[in-house]
Amino acid sequence: MDASIKVNGLTKYFGELLAVDHVSFDVEAGEIFGFLGPNGAGKTTTLRMLTNLTRPSEGTATILGMDTVRDTLAVKAVTGIVPEASNVFFELTTVANLTFTGALYGMRKKETATRADELIKLFDLEDHRKKKSVELSLGFRRRLTIAMSLMHDPQVVFLDEPTSGLDVESSRLIRDIVQDLHRKGVTVFITTHNMEEANQLCHRIAVINHGDLIAVDTPERLKQAATEAQAIEVSFDREMNADEEKGLWSLPCVSDVRPLGDKYHLVTSDPPCVLEAIYPFMSERGLKPVSLNTFGPSLEDVFVKLTAKGEGVTADE
Amino acid sequence: MSDAVATARKPVAWDGLRKAWAISAKDMKIYYFQPAVLIFGLVFPVAIFFAFMIGRDVKAVNLFPGLIALTLFFSTTTVAPFSVPWEKMNRTFERLLFAPVSMTDAVLGKVMSAFLFGFVICLFPLAIGLIFFGSTIKDWTALVVALVLGNLCMATMGMLISTVKADTPPKVMMVLNLVRLPLMFISGIFIAISTLPLYGRVLAWFSPVSYAADLLYKGLGFKDYFGVLTDLLMLLAFTAAMFVASVLRMKAWNR
Repeated sequence: MDASIKVNGLTKYFGELLAVDHVSFDVEAGEIFGFLGPNGAGKTTTLRMLTNLTRPSEGTATILGMDTVRDTLAVKAVTGIVPEASNVFFELTTVANLTFTGALYGMRKKETATRADELIKLFDLEDHRKKKSVELSLGFRRRLTIAMSLMHDPQVVFLDEPTSGLDVESSRLIRDIVQDLHRKGVTVFITTHNMEEANQLCHRIAVINHGDLIAVDTPERLKQAATEAQAIEVSFDREMNADEEKGLWSLPCVSDVRPLGDKYHLVTSDPPCVLEAIYPFMSERGLKPVSLNTFGPSLEDVFVKLTAKGEGVTADE
Repeated sequence: MSDAVATARKPVAWDGLRKAWAISAKDMKIYYFQPAVLIFGLVFPVAIFFAFMIGRDVKAVNLFPGLIALTLFFSTTTVAPFSVPWEKMNRTFERLLFAPVSMTDAVLGKVMSAFLFGFVICLFPLAIGLIFFGSTIKDWTALVVALVLGNLCMATMGMLISTVKADTPPKVMMVLNLVRLPLMFISGIFIAISTLPLYGRVLAWFSPVSYAADLLYKGLGFKDYFGVLTDLLMLLAFTAAMFVASVLRMKAWNR
């Protein structure tokens, strides 16, 4: 499959500060690609260089074969950008924001009106069509921001923290729309802090820390890098006392015990070993399990491990 | 290469102008009736006009070219210094940069909206002067050049001022008035340039407002100072220089 986005040695200095350090990766056509990293890791700077909102200090990037710096207007014509802040024009109505965006992309009036109607329906904004954006809630404003980025039917979409701070309904709608874009062959590049969202949506994930790209792989393969972070989650029919809680720590193969509400998360690299030991533990103390689940390592565990180490491991290589 | 990519690389002719017009139309909707624009663009020149007129033994008809020049100067230079920092502050200016809009087209759009605002506003004092105070048009060419080129020049001046390093509209407005108020006294708006001391007459050459005011006086039957051709060429030169400087400064800001 062809690469939609090719990044080669992209680097950004802000004065003396090295914000992004010779980052290289490819994003395939139609792929949903997640870009993860802690605050200040260089995610947004990379995204801004890819969309030519910031010039790279070194390196190159191409989108659909076009250089992001030399062919900047052509690149912008085929990409949609959703910034972290919902920067809609507060003084304009929902429909006016969409039609203005259409005009910026050189769309004809009739085409703009038809596309605006489609997007208003898709993003469930019908009741807010004539409302000024200042009157919209955060969730609806976010929907409008994303709708504006899709006005011109882009082939590549960049989303910076698309569901940050949103209610469940808006988040779910946006995730469904991202999946729908993928089905239509659109390449989606997402930066996010939401590990679960990245796990559910992305075909591949890149992790950046201190400006260095430390891993690029599928979520499942990345998780294999943290097998020690598997877990057994158990809840009991009654509250445990302090001694009983201490007993959980003495179970074989358990490396950490995390109380989570009415449950206990027993971290282990060997779940069968813990399962064997937990039944005798319960019968000795007269405890009955209400629920018992096993969990593989989460993307969050992988992320914490990778960003804590900050070592240059690229699973793809 | 896909069709979309091929089209993106070769945009149709006039594409940039259409986008600039879209930006102007959006600015008209959003900014023309903002209180700050109305106060600094309308109330200010009228108040200054009365400050000059009241208590002086001058016929109103003699002050009308000055009032029109003042309106042209104040109203046209107000729009961009409000809208540009406002959009930078709310990060909506980025919206223009997400799209395939060149910085030249974005600046042109901003200049056009300021130009139209000032042009329409200027027609009111002109009409009042002609209808109620006995002003007469003696040189149509000078008047039309003053209204068109003068407004265009003031619009680019406002745009250039809007590129100062300031993060909110009030801060840019402060810089704007810091530039406008001294220029008002050396540009022959109410005080004829020929009556200024030598340093005033020298400084008048460096103010684009001088040439617009000179043309307005000439158009309404008063004696000009620089001559129509000099006025026209200087306004063109100032407009071009300030437009290029605005584009360069906005590009630098974007980087």
